[in-house]
Amino acid sequence: MPEVLKAPLVVEFPFTRSLGPVQSAFLTGLRERVVLGVRTADGRTLVPPVEYDPVTAEEIHDLVQVAPTGTVTTWAWNHAPRRGQPLATPFAWVLVRLDGADTALLHALDAPGPDAVRTGMRVRIRWAAEREGAITDIACFEPHAGEPASPDGEPGALADDRVTGIVAPARLDYTYSPGRAQSAYIAALSTRRTVGERCPACRKVYVPPRGACPTCGVPTAEQVEVGPRGTVTTFCIVNIKAKNLDIEVPYVYAHIALDGADLALHGRIAGIPYDQVRMGLRVEPVWTEGARYPDHYRPTGEPDADYDVYKELL
Amino acid sequence: MTREEPPDRRDIAVVAFAQTDVLRTTDELSEVEMLMPVLHSVLDRTGLKTADIDFTCSGSSDYLAGRAFSFTLALDGVGAWPPLSESHVEMDGAWALYEAWTKLLTGDADTALVYSYGKSSPGSLRDVLTRQLDPYYVAPLWPDSVALAALQAQALIDAGHTDEPALAAIGARSRRTATLNSHAQLRGSVPQGDYAVRPLRTGDCPPVGDGAAAVILAAGERARELCSRPAWIRGVDHRIEAHSLGVRDLTDSPSTRLAAERAGAFDRPVDTAELHAPFSSQEVVLRKALRLDDSVRVNLSGGALAANPMMAAGLIRIGEAAARIHRGESDRALAHATSGPCLQQNLVAVLEGEPR
Repeated sequence: MPEVLKAPLVVEFPFTRSLGPVQSAFLTGLRERVVLGVRTADGRTLVPPVEYDPVTAEEIHDLVQVAPTGTVTTWAWNHAPRRGQPLATPFAWVLVRLDGADTALLHALDAPGPDAVRTGMRVRIRWAAEREGAITDIACFEPHAGEPASPDGEPGALADDRVTGIVAPARLDYTYSPGRAQSAYIAALSTRRTVGERCPACRKVYVPPRGACPTCGVPTAEQVEVGPRGTVTTFCIVNIKAKNLDIEVPYVYAHIALDGADLALHGRIAGIPYDQVRMGLRVEPVWTEGARYPDHYRPTGEPDADYDVYKELL
Repeated sequence: MTREEPPDRRDIAVVAFAQTDVLRTTDELSEVEMLMPVLHSVLDRTGLKTADIDFTCSGSSDYLAGRAFSFTLALDGVGAWPPLSESHVEMDGAWALYEAWTKLLTGDADTALVYSYGKSSPGSLRDVLTRQLDPYYVAPLWPDSVALAALQAQALIDAGHTDEPALAAIGARSRRTATLNSHAQLRGSVPQGDYAVRPLRTGDCPPVGDGAAAVILAAGERARELCSRPAWIRGVDHRIEAHSLGVRDLTDSPSTRLAAERAGAFDRPVDTAELHAPFSSQEVVLRKALRLDDSVRVNLSGGALAANPMMAAGLIRIGEAAARIHRGESDRALAHATSGPCLQQNLVAVLEGEPR
C-alpha cells in the first residue's frame, strides 16, 4: 500500500448576510455605542435582541435602550485564546445581563486572571476603537465597580445610515487525506500511469477509484492499470474564458473512457481544431514536465471507435 | 403523563446495530472506506442485502472533514445504483433514525438502514463547531465548543448542582465502564488533566475521534424474522430550545424533559439509559431532566466521554441501548441524543424487549 497522502486544505468564505429590522437596529446601535434590546409582549427585554419572541414566536420590534453595564451570569476562563476570538490574551468567556435587560449576551471579559472573575460581578462594555456595525464593535467587557452607567451614545444618531448587512469571514484549516483508493490513484499518476480499481462483484473498473462500487456497495481493491489511450464518449465546447485559467477559448472538454475503464473521466482535448472533435475520437494523454496529471489529451490518429463499444459509458 | 396513541400505529424495532472502533485519526481511510465495514456488518447481522432495504437515511456533516458533498460519496458504500429511496440529514444519525422511523410509520417502508459517520480528525473540531452558531451575534466571536460547555458547567456549579470533584468522578466512571467496550476511544484510567476551559478539565471533555455507526429498523413481523429479540421503539421525540444561550437556563434541559415525556419515558421506569452527554457537566443536567435515579444503569458503554464521533455518537446511544435488549440484558431502555451547544437540541427514544 502506498504512503497515505496528506495536504493542507483551507476552506475560507466571506459570508455576506442581510439583517432583519431588529438585528439592523442593534448592530447600528453598537456602531454608535448604543445597546438596544427588544421588548416582548409579556414585558421582558431581550439583549441581544431577536426578530421573534423565543417563547411565543411572535414578531417583536419594540426597541429599548439598555445600559453598557451589567452583571455576569456565568463565566469560563479561557487560558489559551484561539484564532478569531475577541482577545489574544487569556480572558473569561462571560454571559452578561446588561442593566435593563432580562437575558444575557455572550462576550469576552478582560480580567487579570480567573481569581478576578466570579458570577455576579459587575462589568461594563469596552467599545472597539473602530466600529462598523457588528458584535465585535464591543471589544470586550471589563470589570466595573459601581452602579448602572448611563448610556454611552445617543439613540438619535441611529436614524441615518443604518447597517443592513454584515460580512462575516470564516476560515477553517484542515489537513486533508484522500483515503486509500484515491491515494493509490494519485501515487500512480506521479509515474504517469492511470490505475483504477475493479469491483469484485460486477467486475467494473472505476477510474478514478473511490474505494467502493456504487452499484454493489462493496470495497474495490484489485488495482487495474488502464489506458493510456481512450475514447471520447461525449464533449462540450467551452467559449467563456475562466478566471485565472491560461487556456484560449474555444476549447473542448470531454468525457474520455480510457481503454479498460468502465467509467469515463474528464479532460481537455487539444491538438485538433475544436470543431473537429467528435464522439468516438481516439485520444492519448499529453504530459508536461513535472505535472501530476495529464495536461490534455490529443488524437492518436487511430480510426474512431465504434459507437457500440462505448455506448454503455456515456 | 399519559398519551393518546393511535390504535393502529405500527410496531417498529431496531433489529441490528454495528459501529466502528472510534480512533483519533483515520488518515488511511476516506469517509466511505471508514463507513463501509459498518454497513456490511449491520446487514450481515440480519442477512439482508442493500436491495432488500426499503429506505436509507444517513446523518453527517461536510464541515468535519472539509470535504464537500461527502455524503453523496458515502452513498457509494451503500450501493446506491439503481437509485434507492434515500434521505440525508445534516444532523447526528439519531435524527436520521427519527426520519426513518416516521417513514416506517407511514407504511411506505418495512425496513430501513440508518447510518452516520464523522471524520473530525482532518480539522480542528472546536473551531469547526463554532460555525453552527448564530452567525450574527455569536459566530463572529468564535466561541469554541469547550468554552460554551464550560459556561454551562460554571452555571451548574454556581447553582450548587455539582462541583469539580463530582464532574471528575463522572469522567472517571465513564472511562472505567468503557473498559468493557472495545469500540471506545478512551478506556480505563485517564488523567483528569489540566483545565481546558475552566472549570472544565480535559477529563470532563469528550475525546475527538473518527467513527461510524449503523442500525437497521424493521416493522412488525419483519422485525421478528430478522431479530430474535427486537428492540421495539415505544416512542421517539425531539425538541429544541432557543438558539441564544443567554435566553436559556443552562442548568436545566426542558427540551430533554419534554422529548422524554412525549416519547413515553416517564410512563414506566427504565432499567437502562444511554445518555449523549459529551461533557461531564451535561450528564448532571440530563440525569435531572430525565429523573434517572441510582436504580438505572447509565452509560454502560462508557458514553460520549469515552467515544464521541461527531454525527454518530447519538445514533450509537440508540444502538447500544437496542443491543442490550437484543442480548436480553435490558427490558426497557432510554436512549438520548443531543446536538448543538450546551444541549440545545435533544432526542429521546424509548426501547423495549418483549417478556422473556
